[in-house]
Amino acid sequence: MNRWWVGGAALVAVAAVLGPLLGDPDAADFAAILAGPSPAHPLGTDQLGRDLLLRLLAGAQLTLGISVVTVLVTGAVGTAAGMAAGYREGPGARVLLRTVDVLAALPIILFGLLAAAVLGPGIGSLLAAVWLVGWTPFARQAYQLTVAEKGRAYVEGAVALGAGPARVLLRHVARNLAPPLLAHACVRFAATLLTVSGLSFLGLGVAPPTAEWGAMVAEGREYLFVAPHVVLVPSVAVVAVAVLVTVAGRRMAT
Amino acid sequence: MLRRLLPVPLVLLAASVLVFALPRLTGVDVSRAVLRARVSAEVPDAATEARVAAEFGLDASAPVQYLRWLGAALRGDLGLGFVSREPVLDQVGDALAVSGLLTVLALGLAAVVGVTAGVYAAHRPGGPFDRAVGALAVAGVAVPEFVLAPWLVLVFAVGAGALPALGWGGPQHVVLPVLTLAVYPAALAAQLVRAETADVLTRAHVPLARAKGLTARRVLWRHGARLATTSVTSLSGMFVAGLLGGSVVVEVVFGIPGLGRLLYDAVLAQDLPVIQAGTLALVAVAVLAGVLVELAGLAADPVARSREAVS
Repeated sequence: MNRWWVGGAALVAVAAVLGPLLGDPDAADFAAILAGPSPAHPLGTDQLGRDLLLRLLAGAQLTLGISVVTVLVTGAVGTAAGMAAGYREGPGARVLLRTVDVLAALPIILFGLLAAAVLGPGIGSLLAAVWLVGWTPFARQAYQLTVAEKGRAYVEGAVALGAGPARVLLRHVARNLAPPLLAHACVRFAATLLTVSGLSFLGLGVAPPTAEWGAMVAEGREYLFVAPHVVLVPSVAVVAVAVLVTVAGRRMAT
Repeated sequence: MLRRLLPVPLVLLAASVLVFALPRLTGVDVSRAVLRARVSAEVPDAATEARVAAEFGLDASAPVQYLRWLGAALRGDLGLGFVSREPVLDQVGDALAVSGLLTVLALGLAAVVGVTAGVYAAHRPGGPFDRAVGALAVAGVAVPEFVLAPWLVLVFAVGAGALPALGWGGPQHVVLPVLTLAVYPAALAAQLVRAETADVLTRAHVPLARAKGLTARRVLWRHGARLATTSVTSLSGMFVAGLLGGSVVVEVVFGIPGLGRLLYDAVLAQDLPVIQAGTLALVAVAVLAGVLVELAGLAADPVARSREAVS
């Protein structure tokens, strides 16, 4: 059963990497504007006659690429902070947890708006927002897991054998934290994907004419009543990937 | 109890420093920004610029400016919007009322749907209803607002022609935005309630209640769903701030004059006082919602209460 999910993820990744080789996503075909599916354009074209399949694949690279990098960076930072706080509980850990609570209580879109106000809307403000907040769920999860692991015999054994905190955490605790944290990373990936495309939809991230799934929905929305397929294509892509990753993460967790 | 309220002023104070610093971080010259909004001249003369700087107290040092600004803010004066020239607190208040209505309706709908679906799904784990709820809940979490809103408009406003596609004013304008907002919390609530209820139903007091002669329905709701109310309360608290200010997408798509839209427009127009006031309001609401949820949890859960008394 798991092979299906791995295969699906691999397929999406290959499509995202190879997509731009198939053609220019910004090339306009003025003979076919807002056209439905045809042999020349398997998913149809948008309001400028650009091929939706090519834009979808180019968008996959950008949208999914930003999400993957974000989850890797914030996952590493958050896990490290959470593990350190969980292993050495003290005033520092309490401050960290309070910070996590406050940051996680605020809507991510507020950070997107503030980052856009400070840096100007663009990929930079988008990354600033998702990186500033994205580490907090990992920190919370890693903290709770580390506190639970700390009391177990193997940690005591390692300490008795003279292992320092860094060795205990990296060599021993980290291995036991990896499976639940990987499952958590899948959930975070889906959430990040929706945030990235949502902010781009609002014009606070990747801006048109660059092909990004959220930005594509925003562009196509004006033609929703005449040519709904322009919105349908990126909509389905966002939801499909989010479902795929969410279910895969859940399988991993059980 | 007091320990939980202690961080609230600290968080608000930290937020106020950040919010005060915001115009300095943006690199926007405030007096220039005001001038540009007021007069059309490309390059305003130095005298006018100095007068505006004095009017806004921008000639003082940063700490002095902060204390003045904080004092005014505590008295309810957060300045005038650059664009509207109206007190921003009034603007934020009006917008908050609109977003508040949407939030309450969406959370109410989500709680009713989520709890009902979750409890019935737990009634027969693995049954067809349980699997349907599980699949719908995954989809509900995976469908973002910016995808859902256009499709609801297409189906209900254009296809069926029954509801307006955008606008604000009458009850007919509330339906589609509330539906869009309710999907995500409803899906999460259904998952949570299903898991907790299924867990409770395996415990010993449930067969006992059945043996005492209670109907299956009564056991399900009185005993099984009991815990669910607590977790749904805490889930709602999590969503209050997100819905009040985070519903930018819904408010932009449906043209609703709420807090999210106000902040969004302010960011695009670089209207700093509005951004400042909106952010402060949102942080305050989020922190207060968190505290209220914790207190509600303590009131509802005797185990947590006794743990609190011991520590």
